[in-house]
Amino acid sequence: MNDATQLDETYHFILSVFVERGQAPHFTEIASKFAIPVEEGKRRLHELMAARLPNWLFPETDLIASFAPFNNLPTQYRVSVEGEQRWFAQCGLESLAMTWMFPGKRVTVNAPCLDCGEPLSVELLDGVIQRAEPRDIAFYVDLPIRKWYGNLPFA
Amino acid sequence: MNLFRSKEHVKRWSQFKPGTEAGMLSLADAMRVMSTPRHRNRLGTNYVSTLPETVPAFVARLLEVTGNSPFWDLRPG
Repeated sequence: MNDATQLDETYHFILSVFVERGQAPHFTEIASKFAIPVEEGKRRLHELMAARLPNWLFPETDLIASFAPFNNLPTQYRVSVEGEQRWFAQCGLESLAMTWMFPGKRVTVNAPCLDCGEPLSVELLDGVIQRAEPRDIAFYVDLPIRKWYGNLPFA
Repeated sequence: MNLFRSKEHVKRWSQFKPGTEAGMLSLADAMRVMSTPRHRNRLGTNYVSTLPETVPAFVARLLEVTGNSPFWDLRPG
């Protein structure tokens, strides 16, 4: 099996676990899934996390911190699917991409506005904004997109 | 990379950086940015190996939505 196929498999498994339970798998679970030694599961995790995708580990650990569009550490972007809150989004922009993780299901993003602390809410279905409260919700990033990969957690 | 109740709230935010107004998008435009195959296809079983193929559509969408803003230009410059 070539490396590209392994990366695809590992990526798909991690994302699928997030969808199902709202939390990342440990590398031992990667090993179990593919019936490989635990150290090989760890190697696969690190290889994927080095693939220049918007995903990262907790510093100096083998634990997934963030795996777009999900976050393994609670953020202010709480995500509900069909009314059940179990997921957290990596950031405000990725919270919108959550809709692609749950095809055919109603996804709601709830968060506080960082300026005033008042709530905002967006409801999505298959990529279409069904409802936004308030209606003028805006996204903001202070870093040009070309610089995002310099330090993704702080972009 | 945050959401605010409006663009006025963005400008009032204590961490807003003057000169980065181009970093603001409406909710509808932000959704359009996140709706190309680069984000739609993540659940695909060959997502990582097909990622390079999704770049042109993502770059084009960014430029279309932002009116060719250099702030959102991923092309080598």
